Amino acid sequence: MFEEDAAFYAADLDKATIVELSALMVDILKLAETHTNSEIVEALKTSYVEADILQAFERFAELEGAGLLFNRGEDLKETAAIASERRKLLVAIPGIATDSFFDIETLSAGTNMAFSYMFKHLTKYVDLHFTGNRNRKIADNLYEVDISVVDFGRLSRNINETYFGILTLHRDHETWLLPLYQHIELPPILVQCHAPRGHGGEALNSILRHYAAMRDFDGFTAPSDYVREFYADYVWDVSFFNTLPNGVDSTLFRPMNKQKAKQELARHVGDDRILTTPTVGYLSRVESEKGASVYLKLAELNPHLLFLIAGPSLGRYASQDLPDNLIYAGFHPRKALPMVYNAFDVYCFLSMSGEETFGLTVLEAMACGVPPVVPNFDGVPSVVADAGIVADAENFQHDIATFVSYPSPIDFSKQINRLLNDDQRRESLSQKARERALSFTWDKTARRIVEVFEELQEKRRLVSPNRLLNVFAPTPPAETVHDLGSRGPAHQVRQESQYKSIVLGMNERYEPCLIRDAAYPLRVEDGLVLSILKDHTVREAEAVLTAVIEDETEAKATLKRVCGLIQATA
Amino acid sequence: MRFNTDYRLNRHHKFKQNDRKYVADLETNAIVEVNGVEWDILQRYGMQTQYQIVEALKGKYKVNAIFDGIARLERLGKHGQLLTQIPTSAKQPNALQPIDHKPKILVPFEFTEEKSSLDYITHLNRFQLLTALTESTLLETLGFTNAENGSGDSKNLEALGDIRIRQIESGEKNTFTSAWYAREGYDGMLLLSQSLTDNLSYYQIPDVPIVHCIENTQKLQNSMLETLLHLHASQKESDAFVVKASWMKEWLSEFGIPERHLCVIPEGINVVQPISKALAKQHTATLFHKPMFTQHPVVGLISGFEPNQGAQWITEFAHANRHLAIFVYDSVLAQHYKNPPDNVVIFGADSQEMASILPVFFQALDLVCFPAMPGTPCSVVLEAMAYGVPCVAMTKYGLPPEVSDAGVSVECQWDNFGNFHVPMRELSATINAGLVPSDMRAAFEGVARRFPQKYTWQKTAQKLTQLFEKNQSLETGTHQTAVNLFPPIFCRRYNPNTFETTSDAYRLGINRYEHLEKALGETLLTQHKTAEVASVFKHFKAKTSIPTSTQFSKNDGFQSSPWEPNDIDESGEQLNQSQIQQPLFRNYEDSEAKDISRNRVIRADAA
Repeated sequence: MFEEDAAFYAADLDKATIVELSALMVDILKLAETHTNSEIVEALKTSYVEADILQAFERFAELEGAGLLFNRGEDLKETAAIASERRKLLVAIPGIATDSFFDIETLSAGTNMAFSYMFKHLTKYVDLHFTGNRNRKIADNLYEVDISVVDFGRLSRNINETYFGILTLHRDHETWLLPLYQHIELPPILVQCHAPRGHGGEALNSILRHYAAMRDFDGFTAPSDYVREFYADYVWDVSFFNTLPNGVDSTLFRPMNKQKAKQELARHVGDDRILTTPTVGYLSRVESEKGASVYLKLAELNPHLLFLIAGPSLGRYASQDLPDNLIYAGFHPRKALPMVYNAFDVYCFLSMSGEETFGLTVLEAMACGVPPVVPNFDGVPSVVADAGIVADAENFQHDIATFVSYPSPIDFSKQINRLLNDDQRRESLSQKARERALSFTWDKTARRIVEVFEELQEKRRLVSPNRLLNVFAPTPPAETVHDLGSRGPAHQVRQESQYKSIVLGMNERYEPCLIRDAAYPLRVEDGLVLSILKDHTVREAEAVLTAVIEDETEAKATLKRVCGLIQATA
Repeated sequence: MRFNTDYRLNRHHKFKQNDRKYVADLETNAIVEVNGVEWDILQRYGMQTQYQIVEALKGKYKVNAIFDGIARLERLGKHGQLLTQIPTSAKQPNALQPIDHKPKILVPFEFTEEKSSLDYITHLNRFQLLTALTESTLLETLGFTNAENGSGDSKNLEALGDIRIRQIESGEKNTFTSAWYAREGYDGMLLLSQSLTDNLSYYQIPDVPIVHCIENTQKLQNSMLETLLHLHASQKESDAFVVKASWMKEWLSEFGIPERHLCVIPEGINVVQPISKALAKQHTATLFHKPMFTQHPVVGLISGFEPNQGAQWITEFAHANRHLAIFVYDSVLAQHYKNPPDNVVIFGADSQEMASILPVFFQALDLVCFPAMPGTPCSVVLEAMAYGVPCVAMTKYGLPPEVSDAGVSVECQWDNFGNFHVPMRELSATINAGLVPSDMRAAFEGVARRFPQKYTWQKTAQKLTQLFEKNQSLETGTHQTAVNLFPPIFCRRYNPNTFETTSDAYRLGINRYEHLEKALGETLLTQHKTAEVASVFKHFKAKTSIPTSTQFSKNDGFQSSPWEPNDIDESGEQLNQSQIQQPLFRNYEDSEAKDISRNRVIRADAA
């Protein structure tokens, strides 16, 4: 509490805010920690009207309601102090109840499931602090922290002191994350790149905005190298895209007795054909972008095979006439999924969506020893490698909605039949699939995250401020263009003025930074980059250069040159 | 680069708790934790300038830590904590108070190093100017002494006479350039050096008006235009080039330097007690072993030519006028042109001794002839005429006002590459006519004889002082703070309609794309002067074939394509900041008022 200009204030350091108090409130606060309300009324009623005292209590109740001055929750500092000196990551997933990540049964989307595994393994290496609005311990090495602090400056400083990095796992990045890059104090931010393409260009543009706004020590994670390759056409520095493959729980997902699995599923579904007919499996939401229509076509093309759909519901396909050899196997809880996978002879993955950078179900099927047939686009072939069949797909150069590809039903049909007719090959692929799946572990994923943050921290240490000064100026027309024989009036030989930029030997803090007192000429383009890099990122300068220099090689060289100059003179 | 204080400190309360330092902002109710240096800066912020804060704290903290502290506090201010951004409209040009004392002028010492590349008279005139200025101003220069080895460059400065030397200790703890010390305590800065690199850093200093004296001497001529164009790009509204001859102003305005940045102040001239013309001719003939100087009319040519062109032209002129004795003043040719035609002598004053004979030769002249071009030293022309000698000026724009009513002009052409063209027949005819005694000649002689009263160093100093006082009242800030709540992000954008990827600017907060160029202009304007930004845009306009639908002009702002910025137009008027920003803001208002209502409020403040 302090007094300033005859007014009383109480400072709530946890909330980084102050509250103006009346004299009465000050007196109450002095007694509050050691006395009950009635004792306080008793003590103060000689100096104040009782009704005023009660009103003051109401005001305090309001403040408490707003979370100010009084803290009835757990004190995170104490909780965190018990925790070791382990490194801490701040996990930002606004808008999603943190607890939901730890109840795997309720998770249906592959992405959230992946997060859940990832967090569990990450806590082996770091403490995870989820952003929220109260301080509490969720589980070992897992906390929720209140970040609703008014003082962003202080918050960012605290975040910087406390955290090794910020992991963001949220789709709606635009509104809250984009402005955060402006705060140089914040530790490295790693952004999950969910959908590298699709959504009619929206996904691409969102990533491009983040790429531009990111500080030099932020980055994306993407499940496969494909994302990096895809973006090589749009950005100059693909090192911002860090490949972070998913893992698979290979103790849950493991090969079982195939016949037994088929019997169990047959019983569950009530269709004995599963026991006798070669089975092609499909485990996904039944939607057009997941390739449901292609799957239907495959069933029509192959009446001699059985096509099994496992998913939450049939969606709009429920009202269609489905081929007789297509069976809806219903929704299965997670622990029953290995049985479902094991009942398949071939796993068929047909997603056409631009968000499919990995294909988690493919890996689960592989872990169960089921050879997959996947379309030749985006990230999935790199997961499968030689442990499955890659079938033809039309890859669209420009997407519509979320559709970025169309898997060829004919080729899929051909590949599936070949595989089902070749027991030896199927057997060998089954083994390979299991072996390959074993190499994808969540532990690796978790270690890779820590490693990426370490790399980003390293980059951060190398960031140099740009304090160079430069001016733009016209230059007199060059003498070389002048016809020496001419004796005409000056204005006739005057060429159009040219311009250049000059970098000063003194920086904006008045320190000599090039050879003393010198000033060096630069091209306007170089000067432009130098000016932009005062308040904007290298990636933004990249975007500007693309617009002003046609030749990309030259543009890249310009950027490198100016960045080098800034680094060298910092 | 923001040197100016754009923020005011909020009402606040500082307190320490558990070894941590906090500041409670009583206006926003926020509490901010600060470190030691920030704590100390807050003690001074708003009451002291950045320079004073850094100077006061640099004994206690590393200079970088102080700058970082100020930067962090101002970043907080940008987010509305502790400091409040001062709306541009509320900012007072801090120099409105008239100078009520002897103005204190900084004269950076770098010019003394130019001595060897200048002719003696130019060098001498600088000291005469400084001496005269000490009557009405307080001149100070910076002297750096190295505390460790006791050395310093005060040697050069001894010659500066009445100029005070402000000793600054250089060494490990002091890594500032001399420009840093110019930031405060001066009513103005007088730059005498002609070098780009010496001066460019002084031009980065806000709030101190600069008067920069430009020499007309052929030795500096080659790179001078380029240097001046570059320096002009850095000029504040309150900065001016002082040129010593009207033709310098004409020359520079031809290359786009606006007239308001060019001020003609002729130098004082030095004259001696006159002797008779016959005696002067006798001396001249004797000293040069040229008897013809006593027998023929003597024409003085105050040169300023580029040396090769000059040698050719002088030869041509001498051959066309064999009946004239020609005295050429040219310090470069005097050394290098050893065998001029018989009727020509070439003289250059490169020592005190030689300069003292010069008045003898001048008094022998019957006519002074000079080209009004950048290399021609105006004060020498005036000195030559001061004994009552009419002139024939070879000019582009008629008789220079300095010599009006004391001669005639012959129209000629010259360009920046030393090419000089004068109709020789017309020139010869004019000269010969001028040599004949007449009423007109007598009138010219009378005017010329009054030059010693007209061109004195006192008057030169007085005009310079007045210029400082006048410019003091002009806006001195270097850059206007860009008031922009939502910064643009320059990024690539894929257009699903055209399948093309372009570069655009994405405006945070408003969350939409806009033209790259507009945002680029805005970004550049936070660091650069309007003329500089115009240079950038003109450069790209010339280079690209980007279709230009709207122009960067007073009416359209940076609308869609600034590659076609409105010229610094015929009158030399530059676009000023508000002219660019206002239309921008109006365009917003028309089309997307809803989206940007918040932004607009801020901009309205700025406008």
